[in-house]
Amino acid sequence: MHRSIKIRQFILMLALLLIITRYSLIAKVFFLFFLYIQLLFTSPELALAQISFQFIDFAVSIILLAAAIIYFLMAGKKVKYFQSNLNFTSAVIILLISFFLFAPLITDNNPDFQKDLSVTKLLPPFSSVKVLHLNNDNYSTGNTVDKFINLKSRVIKNSFDDSIIFIDSISAGNKLTYYQGGAEVLLANDKVIFKNNTPLITTRTFILGTDELGRDIFTRLIYGARISLFVGLGSVLISLLLGLFLGFFAGYSEGFIDTALNRLTDMFLAFPVIFFIILIIALFGNSLPSVIMVLGFSGWMSLFKIVRSEVISLKNKDFFVSARLIGLSNIKLLLKETLPYILVPVVVNLVFQYGNVILAEAALSYLGLGTGSSYPSWGSMIEAGQNYLSQAWWMILFPGLALFLTLFAANSLGRKISSHFNPRVNS
Amino acid sequence: MEYFNAVGIGQLNNISMRKEIFKTFAKRGWTSLLVLFLLMTFLFLLLRISPGDPSLKYISPKLSPRLTELVKKSFSLEGSMPAQYKTFILNLAKGDFGISYTYRIPVIRVIERALPFTIMFSLLSFFIQIVSGFLLSMFAVKKINGTADKIISKTSLPVYAVPSFAAGVFLIYIFSEKLNIFPSSGLTSFDTESYSFIQKLIDYAQHLVLPVITLSFNGVAVFYKYLHDNLEDVYNKPFVENLRANGFTEKEILRKHIIPNAVNPLISVAGVELGLLFGGALITEVIFSLPGMGRLTVDAILSRDYPLVIGCTFVAGILVILTNLCADIIKAMLDKRIAKGILN
Amino acid sequence: MKINRLILSLPLIIILVFLSGCQKGSSEKSGRIIAAITSDVESLNPLFAFSDNEGNISELLYASLVQHEWNYKKGDMDTFPMLAKSWEWNGDSSSITLYLRDDVKWSDGQQFTANDVVFSFDVYSDPIVQSKLYGSFRNFFTDTAMHIDLKKTFVAKSSFVLTINFKKNPSPTFYDIDFPIIPEHVYKNINRKDLITAEKEIKPVTDGAFSLSQWNKNQSLILKADKKSFLYKGGNVSELVFKIVPDYNSGITQLKKGEIDLMEDIKADDYPVISNDGSLGIAAVKGREYDYAGWNNLDPDIYKKTKHVVPNKLFGNADVRKALTLAINRDEILKQFLNNHGEVAFGPVSSIFKDAFNYELHPLPYLPDSAKKLLALAGWKDTDRNGTLKKNGQEFSFTLSIPGGNPRREFTATVIQNNLQALGIKIKIEKLEPDVFFQKMFNRELEAWVAGWTVPIPLDLKSFWYSNLTDAQFNVAGYQNKAMDELLKKIEVSPNSNVKNNLYKKLQEIIYSENPVTFLFWDDKLIAYNKRIQNLSVSPLGVFQRCWNWSTK
Repeated sequence: MHRSIKIRQFILMLALLLIITRYSLIAKVFFLFFLYIQLLFTSPELALAQISFQFIDFAVSIILLAAAIIYFLMAGKKVKYFQSNLNFTSAVIILLISFFLFAPLITDNNPDFQKDLSVTKLLPPFSSVKVLHLNNDNYSTGNTVDKFINLKSRVIKNSFDDSIIFIDSISAGNKLTYYQGGAEVLLANDKVIFKNNTPLITTRTFILGTDELGRDIFTRLIYGARISLFVGLGSVLISLLLGLFLGFFAGYSEGFIDTALNRLTDMFLAFPVIFFIILIIALFGNSLPSVIMVLGFSGWMSLFKIVRSEVISLKNKDFFVSARLIGLSNIKLLLKETLPYILVPVVVNLVFQYGNVILAEAALSYLGLGTGSSYPSWGSMIEAGQNYLSQAWWMILFPGLALFLTLFAANSLGRKISSHFNPRVNS
Repeated sequence: MEYFNAVGIGQLNNISMRKEIFKTFAKRGWTSLLVLFLLMTFLFLLLRISPGDPSLKYISPKLSPRLTELVKKSFSLEGSMPAQYKTFILNLAKGDFGISYTYRIPVIRVIERALPFTIMFSLLSFFIQIVSGFLLSMFAVKKINGTADKIISKTSLPVYAVPSFAAGVFLIYIFSEKLNIFPSSGLTSFDTESYSFIQKLIDYAQHLVLPVITLSFNGVAVFYKYLHDNLEDVYNKPFVENLRANGFTEKEILRKHIIPNAVNPLISVAGVELGLLFGGALITEVIFSLPGMGRLTVDAILSRDYPLVIGCTFVAGILVILTNLCADIIKAMLDKRIAKGILN
Repeated sequence: MKINRLILSLPLIIILVFLSGCQKGSSEKSGRIIAAITSDVESLNPLFAFSDNEGNISELLYASLVQHEWNYKKGDMDTFPMLAKSWEWNGDSSSITLYLRDDVKWSDGQQFTANDVVFSFDVYSDPIVQSKLYGSFRNFFTDTAMHIDLKKTFVAKSSFVLTINFKKNPSPTFYDIDFPIIPEHVYKNINRKDLITAEKEIKPVTDGAFSLSQWNKNQSLILKADKKSFLYKGGNVSELVFKIVPDYNSGITQLKKGEIDLMEDIKADDYPVISNDGSLGIAAVKGREYDYAGWNNLDPDIYKKTKHVVPNKLFGNADVRKALTLAINRDEILKQFLNNHGEVAFGPVSSIFKDAFNYELHPLPYLPDSAKKLLALAGWKDTDRNGTLKKNGQEFSFTLSIPGGNPRREFTATVIQNNLQALGIKIKIEKLEPDVFFQKMFNRELEAWVAGWTVPIPLDLKSFWYSNLTDAQFNVAGYQNKAMDELLKKIEVSPNSNVKNNLYKKLQEIIYSENPVTFLFWDDKLIAYNKRIQNLSVSPLGVFQRCWNWSTK
């Protein structure tokens, strides 16, 4: 049969695919930075005002892309993991990470872009729409500022675009008439870009369809991966710190503190945490940081148990006693002596916890308590899709699938790590 | 039973053992209550500092602002924070949660209506989870690495990864909206008065099919995986080989030796799962609008019905403590050797 | 063996459940009408009928002194007799003499008399009861706690002739006496303080068109037509069932199957499906609710700290607010979300108020270019060309808040965000939990928001637009205008409806030019019904009003 693909090869293939499909965008980004550096010298104040999150995002993405390609071409061979065979789990994880890092390069769209709803609303996957290009007064002088701003508007996409109109059909005449969802609109001829005496019309394809606001689902899915990963990683980090700290504290001090913390943990472990999550989110708002905090605070219990029991069993070992005799402080002890021993169970737990957190975020969104509406998270996409279940199955299917695959990958990764290091221990 | 008797603990030993167990249980009981007390204190503080106002729904062009003022006054607690806290705790101890803002009857009455359903629903789902997990793993383990085993094991992991709320929406879409076989919400049809007992029962069952599936399928995968691994483990133990060599039939080995050995560790998992079920029931109750504790609590939180929020949390806390305790007692009964170990 | 039997019996149970599911057909029955409501009512007690459904049901169970009906011609209400069969106003309309029906009996057989009326006024206005009408008896003689002074107010000439005296200056109307009357002999036995929690103890002894037949909590509420009632005509609806259907989609399915006959709040997306169904009809309550984008005219931080009214840096300027109105594509929201079931709004008076509506005004069109120019005139320009407008070093950026769990608000806010971003305005959408949202809105803490109002009938705009913010609790935008205050005060005291209507027209002109908020659209409230219901009338007052006149085919 066929030879299986190595992880390193897979990553390089993805990078190559990205470069081939987005070569013009990448070239433009490079030119944009070139212009920007020029601008920095000519009019630094103006240049500073141009910095925005998207601009930095592009810069970071392109630098990381270059770095990743160089790394995997040169050094990637030496790392054993990258030389192992590609399987489903690692493919999903690599894809997720690349969505996270290279979102602006993978999709050439703004996740919030919407225009002419009567044409673009609720389009099924692989629909194409005709685009009429308007003749906007571009700054066509040769100075750097104009050049830069012109190029910037073509690289960093806004959520609006005055220079195009989505149409159903068109009929040319003295004045141009175009049709949008049954409505007729007249337009002066000089407003439209003409090519070979016919108005310039291109098509735009929405490969995963559009939502109720005419936004591209593919783009939202890619950017949604960012939110889901960000929420997951952020809250897992909080859980980790809490679990480590409390677990060490309990195991180290024993006695009453240990018992109390233990009971508290039991309570948290068995108490339906979703009650607290809903309570706190409902009472104190659902901004991104508060969702991360709440999810983080609700997932430290199993880590606590692992760390505590490890610390108790380690405490009685010889080297620990001697380390304390040397005079190492508690924190140093924790870091130096215990961490290496609890690393594997903690990592396994974190991976499972990560899956739980992503799921909880989606469930919160389902209840209408997700991360606000400024960010396209998968959960909120599912929530919106529910209202259009019978009209637009694609609105709920794709984010649902993405969520499922992520959960699945997280779960099987956890299982793999645990069986790799400790074949007979089940989580 | 032979299996347990083999442990062989003397009569005298047994009495001191019981004393020991009782002591640990007592300790466990009071620490649990302490934690519950801390929990309620935390909740009290949380509700005091949270934004939102239960009298908001009395602000409307249809109602006089004078009424709003009056209602606001009747909702707000009097006295300083410590004094409020004192009455709060004293009332809790008496089991008096006050009067629900929304339902305008004592909180206890409101909870009375919702609690039996949630307990019944959770236990039913729990039973289904264990039974189907058990049956599936027995079925799969008959021929380890056979086709059935592979298929079930391969599907169990993805099934576990399906979010239950997504599955609920999907089930409603397929079975209620498209196929129109099962009702999508509620617990009974509206005109059940004229029904016979059997008809009523069937009506209940119909309404519960989709919610029970939604609540159970994740758990089935968990129990399956767990039992399957245990069974496989025991199968590979040398004593099974010995039994086989001694001429016991496969059936006998399975029923008398393998199953008891594999089921035992399951109980601790079951305890945790049962606790988690109450949380899972919350989402399911919301999706299918079932009249249980979960929906009651969510509604209470969203409508700022503070007395009801406190009542619901308290009852949920008690339930959790009881289920944990039950799981441990069962475990201790099954194997007295581990009684001391697990209680710490 | 046991296991095998269990496995075998499982599919059998499933098949049994499945089969019995197929038996159910439609539940059409002559004379019975089933209406879907999304959640159960908490109370049948008219004193505490706070929700819309509670109000509707209590009015079906308990009769009022008079009843009102919508007059489409003049766009206002007409008054008709109910418990009072006729009446006389005295010359300066400071008192009214009611001639009550003497043939009305409560459902337990007791006679209805003027005592019940006086008792009702007493209980409704008693502060200790906290009834839904407490505080609204402003035209009556009351003590400082707004409790009606019975001695000064009521003079009973006989058991069926009652005179009500009003306070000197105000102009009382029939709305002051239109509420369900409660039976004295039932309510007087209960301590007034406990009335609010005594739902179980109070038997629904009624005198309305319907009486309570059955109440299965969270399932259904069944009313039977009271055949002895003076409102009953033979052949009309005999049984009205309120079925609790929390899930919207299942409601639609049941409607199509004929399991329910009536459902309110139909989504615009389902309009075609229902109107294509031969057995179903769809009607709309127009012009009762409008959506708007609110701009805080005040500086929220200063207002919160000192209660001083200082104009908002962004929205304090009427030209800026006009620019925002011009820049929002209201037509697109209306067409794409509500499928055009509504009309673009420009003020707080809708076109159903025929005589008060200003026909000379037309909503501003969507003109982003003019909006840009207006903003530039007001000093907002993109000086450093990074895409955001600035003035005196401050960026034009703000947070637009919406309540969570409402897809329409989310849709509207997203379109507004996009429209305004195209002008160079930075705008962030913040989805708040509804309770928190409304608390902040009423405290005037939000910068900008999207919400909706239901316009009260009869029109009452003072609490929405009056400048004194402690009096006008619904002036959440903190709008300030002296001319407007004058108009509102005049409207309040003018008895003549012609004068009033002209004043309302002027008020609309001011709002049209000042744009205190951006009015988005009046949305139609869609109601689907089975065509077997005859005599169904859907007026701005709602669908269940006078539903005792319905009949079935």
